[in-house]
Amino acid sequence: MKTAGYLGLDVGSISTNLVIVDAAGTVLHETYRRVGGSPIASVQSALLDAQAVLGESVQIAGVCTTGSGRNLIGAVVGADVVKNEISAHAHAAIHLHPEVQTIFEIGGQDSKVTLVRDGVVVDFAMNLVCAAGTGSFLDSQAIRLGITIPDLSERAAQSTAPTSIAGRCTVFAESDMIHKQQTGHRQEDILMGLCHAMVRNFLSNVCAGKEILAPVVLQGGVSANLGIRRAFSEILKIDPIIPKHNMVMGAYGAALIASKAGIRQTIFRGYDLCLRAIFTQSFGCTDCPNLCEIVEIVDAGRLISRSGGRCRKWEGDTTPSKEKIESK
Amino acid sequence: MNMPQLAIEPWGNYSLALAASVECLHVRPWTHTCTTPEILKLGVEASPEFSCLSFKVTTGHFIKAAMEGVEYGVMVNSQGTCRLRYYRMLQQKLLKERGFNLFIFGLGYDGIKPPLIRHFDPTMNDFLRCCFRARLKVLTIDELETAAWTRRAVEQRPGDTTRVMNTALRDLDQARTVPEIAAFRKTIPARFNQIPVHADRRPLKVALLGEATILRNSFLNQNIEEVLGGLGVEVRNFFLLGEEMRNIFNIGLWSKNGRSALRRLAKPYLGTPVGGHALTSVAHTVRCAQEGWDGVIHVSPAGCMPEISVRPVLRKISQDMDIPVYECSFDEHTSQVGMITRLEAFVDVLTGRRRKKGL
Repeated sequence: MKTAGYLGLDVGSISTNLVIVDAAGTVLHETYRRVGGSPIASVQSALLDAQAVLGESVQIAGVCTTGSGRNLIGAVVGADVVKNEISAHAHAAIHLHPEVQTIFEIGGQDSKVTLVRDGVVVDFAMNLVCAAGTGSFLDSQAIRLGITIPDLSERAAQSTAPTSIAGRCTVFAESDMIHKQQTGHRQEDILMGLCHAMVRNFLSNVCAGKEILAPVVLQGGVSANLGIRRAFSEILKIDPIIPKHNMVMGAYGAALIASKAGIRQTIFRGYDLCLRAIFTQSFGCTDCPNLCEIVEIVDAGRLISRSGGRCRKWEGDTTPSKEKIESK
Repeated sequence: MNMPQLAIEPWGNYSLALAASVECLHVRPWTHTCTTPEILKLGVEASPEFSCLSFKVTTGHFIKAAMEGVEYGVMVNSQGTCRLRYYRMLQQKLLKERGFNLFIFGLGYDGIKPPLIRHFDPTMNDFLRCCFRARLKVLTIDELETAAWTRRAVEQRPGDTTRVMNTALRDLDQARTVPEIAAFRKTIPARFNQIPVHADRRPLKVALLGEATILRNSFLNQNIEEVLGGLGVEVRNFFLLGEEMRNIFNIGLWSKNGRSALRRLAKPYLGTPVGGHALTSVAHTVRCAQEGWDGVIHVSPAGCMPEISVRPVLRKISQDMDIPVYECSFDEHTSQVGMITRLEAFVDVLTGRRRKKGL
């Protein structure tokens, strides 16, 4: 007998995460992988993985996509629900820790705080134009120092005398780190100083004016970093809870949402989509001065979706471009 | 016949009414209901970086107009502390530096006969006729907008309301005389009633407040009305020109949206004038809380002095009166994807709040 599985896909700036849960919300499979240049290809390989692991025992009964690529991937895989990542992350955290009051989520390029009272989201904030204090910055620093991210995490946690690093801006933080390294501070202490700076920046920019109450859940890709965890508990004087699926909470939330959405017949397009060449192309619509860019998704030579126009007239129109232009 | 042309700053759909109003001056109006990427680019290039988006956009419109050979322009003057009152002079200089001969008239508190009217000097008959026409068009557009906001939240097929609205606006633009406009106005309910709706839904009610240029320009606010409508939210954009006109001419003394009524409402939170639309933002937030609206979205251009001044005030009202307020600032870099993500999350918060309260 086949189990009904609900698929959650979180397509973010840095990683593509996939979680499959059963009807009760138990995780059957999870993947975290770096996106690289092509979100579609990374989703395809994540899906192939899932199929290889679960085999024929699980039947996908519902799909929910989230993350900044949610609409694109939603059209590619056939998503029943498309949910924003703020709600998806909160959903997962509340499911695992119903008593949570504050959720910190630090991802590749965004960081957000969500306030929860009595199991309901009451307020949220997300970084606007500055990526200081997100995973991308840690990434670039690790590359500069020639170490890996897990390395950075462990070394920072071993620091005994963290230095102080200016955290207002990533560019200046970097100059400050170079300065400290030239004056002879140990790398561990500089790295921990960096973690402190990132957390201070996050608390003073994103969380400005928000009431932070324990219990605090810390999730998102950066929550795997021991230095960042340590910085949060030292600055806030609250030990953040790291949930069980901390790296894939967005996808987990999406999967939970799919499992509770009451989907009767899923529009999931099947694992076969991993084996076909799916690519996107775009063109500028010249029908009005808005000059919108219309994105087309082509699946094995067949146009399956169009989107992007402000006037919505392209939405759902899948006449092949050639005929479309000729008919004008 | 070689009539001079007059460029009017963009006021969303109200541009149609304003265009009709200047015909009495025997000039051809030049205007847009919404900014295009090209106009924004022109404005951004010409403007100081830290000026607000409203400045950049209106400057862009005047430059584009000048490039198309328009001789005159008209721009509102404002009283009070908003920098808008100097925008016209600065824009005039920017145009001159670029070698354009477009003269911008100010329109505001310039006495009974503003320079614009003095220059073109229409007959009293023409003037009055156009005033009536414009007033009726403004009121008609108010009615259209209100109908669209309520319908869009419950429409069955996404996009229906927008289609009806666009056709209606085109038809309204064709209506020239007062009887024609009045006849058009009668068709509004029928037009919107033909849209199939989910009659059983009780959509969330969200107020859009803040700075008028952003509220009114669907290009600048990333189409916020339609995005929210698509999420099943009934919005009300609190900048309705009909209401605003009553205030300007001070015949709104007794109306519930009159200045004095608003000042009374805002009194506990805002004792001094801050300029811009600060008073309306504060007063309407208080009223929305009293009337039990689901939430308020406060929009402003990044760097807008009056609106930034009232943000802490709005946060206080939000705490005191238990009404969620979401603040968003717009500049030329605002990404639509990020905007939609935040709006969706805000709508989720409001839905959760309703469920929790058992409403």
